[in-house]
Amino acid sequence: MTRPALALLLAAAAAAQVKLPPYSKQVLPNGATIAVLPKNDVPLVSFLAVFRGGQEGDPADRAGLGAAMAGLLERGAGTLSGDAFADKLDSMGATLRTAMDEQSAVVRMECLARDAGPALDLFADAILRPRFDPDEVKKALAEQIDAAKSLKDNPSQANAAYFAPFFFGPRHPYGRPANGDELTLARIGREDIVAHHRRMFAARNLILVAAGATPAGFESEIERRFAAMPAGQAHSWVAASLPPRDAARLLLIDKPGATQTYFTIAQPGIHRTHPDRVPLWIVNTVFGERFTSMLNDELRVNSGLTYGARSELQQERLPGAITIRTFTKTETTVKAIDLAVGILKRLRSKGLDAAQLASSKAYIKGGYPTQRLETADQVAAAIAELELFGLNRGEVDDLFSRIDAVTLEEANAAIRRHFRDDNLQFCLTGDAAKIRDQVAKYAGRRKEIKIAEPGLTLPEF
Amino acid sequence: MRLLALAAVACTLHAQRIAVSQHMLSNGMKLLIHQDRDVPNVAFYLFFKVGSRNERPGITGLSHFFEHMMFNGAKKFGPKQFDIVMEKNGGSNNAYTSRDITAYTDWFPKAATELMFDMEADRIRDLAIDPKMVESERGVVYSERRTSVDNNNEGLLREQLDAAAFAAHPYGFPVIGWPSDIESWTMDDLKAHFRMGYAPNNCVAVVAGDVTEAEILRLAKKYLEPVPRQSPPPPVRTKEPPQLGERRVTLSKPAQSPYLMVSYHVPESRHADRAPLRILDAILSAGRSSRLYRRLVDRDQLALDIGVDLEDAIDPGQFVINIQVRPGVDPAAAEKALYEELAKAAAGVSAEELGKARNQQVAALYRGMKTIAGKANLLGRAEVYYGDWRKISSFADDLDKVTQADVKRVAAAYFKPANRTVAALIPSKEAE
Repeated sequence: MTRPALALLLAAAAAAQVKLPPYSKQVLPNGATIAVLPKNDVPLVSFLAVFRGGQEGDPADRAGLGAAMAGLLERGAGTLSGDAFADKLDSMGATLRTAMDEQSAVVRMECLARDAGPALDLFADAILRPRFDPDEVKKALAEQIDAAKSLKDNPSQANAAYFAPFFFGPRHPYGRPANGDELTLARIGREDIVAHHRRMFAARNLILVAAGATPAGFESEIERRFAAMPAGQAHSWVAASLPPRDAARLLLIDKPGATQTYFTIAQPGIHRTHPDRVPLWIVNTVFGERFTSMLNDELRVNSGLTYGARSELQQERLPGAITIRTFTKTETTVKAIDLAVGILKRLRSKGLDAAQLASSKAYIKGGYPTQRLETADQVAAAIAELELFGLNRGEVDDLFSRIDAVTLEEANAAIRRHFRDDNLQFCLTGDAAKIRDQVAKYAGRRKEIKIAEPGLTLPEF
Repeated sequence: MRLLALAAVACTLHAQRIAVSQHMLSNGMKLLIHQDRDVPNVAFYLFFKVGSRNERPGITGLSHFFEHMMFNGAKKFGPKQFDIVMEKNGGSNNAYTSRDITAYTDWFPKAATELMFDMEADRIRDLAIDPKMVESERGVVYSERRTSVDNNNEGLLREQLDAAAFAAHPYGFPVIGWPSDIESWTMDDLKAHFRMGYAPNNCVAVVAGDVTEAEILRLAKKYLEPVPRQSPPPPVRTKEPPQLGERRVTLSKPAQSPYLMVSYHVPESRHADRAPLRILDAILSAGRSSRLYRRLVDRDQLALDIGVDLEDAIDPGQFVINIQVRPGVDPAAAEKALYEELAKAAAGVSAEELGKARNQQVAALYRGMKTIAGKANLLGRAEVYYGDWRKISSFADDLDKVTQADVKRVAAAYFKPANRTVAALIPSKEAE
C-alpha cells in the first residue's frame, strides 16, 4: 500500500476557510426579509423565496395542501392566465420551481440577467397574486393525485415516501406526506388553497434572496414589488415530538415481482441547530456519507451486495431521523440487513479512530466550497438557511474552525449519545412472499401492506 | 518527450467569456485548461472515447464495467486506495459511461492537484485487474442493473426501445450490458478492452478551477505524458440501415402508470441538422408552454409528464419522446395526440417559438457553466462530440442561424412513421 506524500496531507488539512460573500440585507416594514448578493460569473440571476412553515403548515387531514398551493403559483397570476404565464416565463428562457420541505415552502426562479426586471415581475405575481383559477386547481389536484399513485411504480421512491409516515407517525407534521397522497388530496378544495396562501404566504414569513448578475439598485426594485405585501401572521412553530421509539418495528411494503428489496433502517436523530451537529456530521461522513464509508465499503465494495449504501443525518427544525438506506437482490435481503446492523454495532462499540477523524474533516472541508458556495443559487440557499433557522453568518464563515476543533473524544461521545443499535425502525419494500418470514426476526411489532393500497400513511403500530 | 502547445484562446459566447488553453501531449492525449478562482477547488475530467458503441455481442456492458474497475486498484495505488486517498485529501469523484464515452470526474481542493495527476496516471497506465475484485464488482453492477432497469419501468422500456430501434448498430446494446454478458465477461475480455479504450491518445483531459496553466502543464508532463501511446479502438464500421417500417414493442407488467416511448432516427451530433433538431426539441418539450406539455399534460390530461431525449452521438442517434401516461389512460390516446402534434410541427413553427427555444437553450448552456465541474464537462464533451471545445461558444450562433424553414424541414424529414420505433408499457390487469 502506498501512502501519499506527507506534504500533500498537510496542505489539505490547512484548507483555508471559505466565507459567504458580502450581501445586503433589509427587513421591510411589513416584516419581509430581503437579501441581495451580486455575483457576476455567469449572466444569470436567481430568485429564492422561502416561506416559514412548510409541512408544519399543512392541516393534519390535508397533507399536500402546501405543495398543491405552491404548484399552482405558476398556473396563472396577476393579469396572466396559466397559459400566458407559461408563455412569458418560457419566452425569457427562465425557469420556476416550487418545493415543500419540513419547515418551509420554496419558490425558485432563474433568468437571464438581461431579463432580471420582467422576471422579477413574474416572480412577484406568482407569489403575491396567484389566481387559483378553478379549472387550474382541478387539473393540478388531479395531476398531483396521479403522481402520488405513480410514485409506487418505483420501489426506491416508494420506500422513501412510506418511510416518513412510518417513522414519525400520523400525529407528527413530518409524518404527513409532503406532497400528499390520493386520500389526503381528495379532501382539498379551492377554498383551502386560497386560505392557505393567505395564511402562509405572509410577509412576516418571507425570506427573499436575489443572487447573481443583479443590476445596480436591485434592492429597491424588489422592495417596490414586495413592500405592499400584507404582513399577516408569522407562522407559530409547532411543538411536536417523535413518539417514543422504544421497541423495534418493521413495516413491509409488498411489491410482488420486485427483484430487489429496498430498505431503510432508522433511529431518532437531531435537529438542525443541535450542538452535536458538527461532530455528528464528521461521524456520519465516516459511517455512511461518502464512497469509502463503513456502510458502502462493507455492502458494496467488499461484498458486492448492492450498488450503494449510505446513511443520512436528517437536519430539520424538529429532531429528525438517522437513516441507513440501501437495496439488494431479494435473495440477499437478510444478509444485507444483518451486515448493515453489524456495521452500526461496530460504530457504537469501536467509534472512530484518529485517521478516520482527520480524513472526515478534510473531506467535508474539501467539498464544502463547491457544494455550498460556488453558484449564486447555492449562496442564496445558504443565506436563506441562516435566516430560516435563526443563525448568523458565523455558521458558514467559522465552519472550518468548528470542524477543526472537534476532538476524537468529542466525536466518540457524540456517537454514544446519538447512535444506538436497539429498537431500530425497519421500512422495507420488496416481494413479501419471498422475505416475510426471514425478516420477522428484526422486530416484534410488524405490519405488512400491499403497495397498491391507496395512500401512504398508516396507523401507529 | 515534448509538450506541444497548440493554442491559448479566449472565446466569447454572447458576452460570456471562457478562456481555455489547449495542449497536445506527445503521447496523443489532448489537454484543456481553464482557470477559475471563484472557489479554491479543481475539477479534473478525463474523457475516454470508448463506450457501448465499441462493444459486440458477448461483451456488452464492458465499458461500463470498466468505469467501475478503474477504482479497484492499480500499481502504485492499490485496491480501494484511489478513493481512500482522494477522500482523505478532501476530494470526491464519480464517473459515467454512455454509448460513446467513459468519463471520470474528479473534484478536489487545489492542494490535492498533484496527487490527482499521480493517481490518474497510475490507473490509466497500470490498472491491476484483480480477479477477486472482478467478481465482487460484477455483483455491484448487477445490482445497478436491477435498480436502473429491472425495477425501473422507464429504464426497462428504454432498453427494449433501443434494442428494437437499432437492428445493426451497437447503439442497440444497453450501456449497462445484457445480463448474460454481465455474468460471463472473462479476464481476457477485460484486458483487451482496457488496452483498447484507455490509450492516452484516445483521451481528452480537462482541468478547470483554481490552477495555473504552467502548473498543470508541469504535472501533465510529469505524470500523464509518460503513459505510452497505444492503438485506439478500431473504427465502428456498422452503419444502421434506413428503417423501412414502424417497429413496436409492448410490455405488460403490474404498474400504476402506463409509459410510452417513441424514437426516431436522427443524424449524429456533428450533422448540420442537429441545431434545428435542438430547437425542435425545445419547442416540443421545454417548459409548460411547449407544444407537447400543453397538449398532452395540460389540455388533454393524458400524461403526467413528457420529455424529449436528444442525446449527443458520434454516430447517427435518436430523438426520443418520453410520455408518462396517467394511470387509467389508454396509451393509444396519448400516442395519437403525439402524432397530431408532430404533424403540426412538420407544418411549421412560429417566429415566437423559435425565439423562445433559442433563449431556453442559451440559458441552459449558461446553467451548465455555473460550476467548474459543469465547465469541465461542457468543454470535454464539445471536444469529443464536435472535435473542438470552441463549439460551446459557437453553440449560440448556430442556434441563431436556424430558421423556421429549417425546423419545419427536419420535423417533416424525421418524424415519419417508417422511421419510428414505439415502446409501450401497459399495466397488467392482475392486482398487485
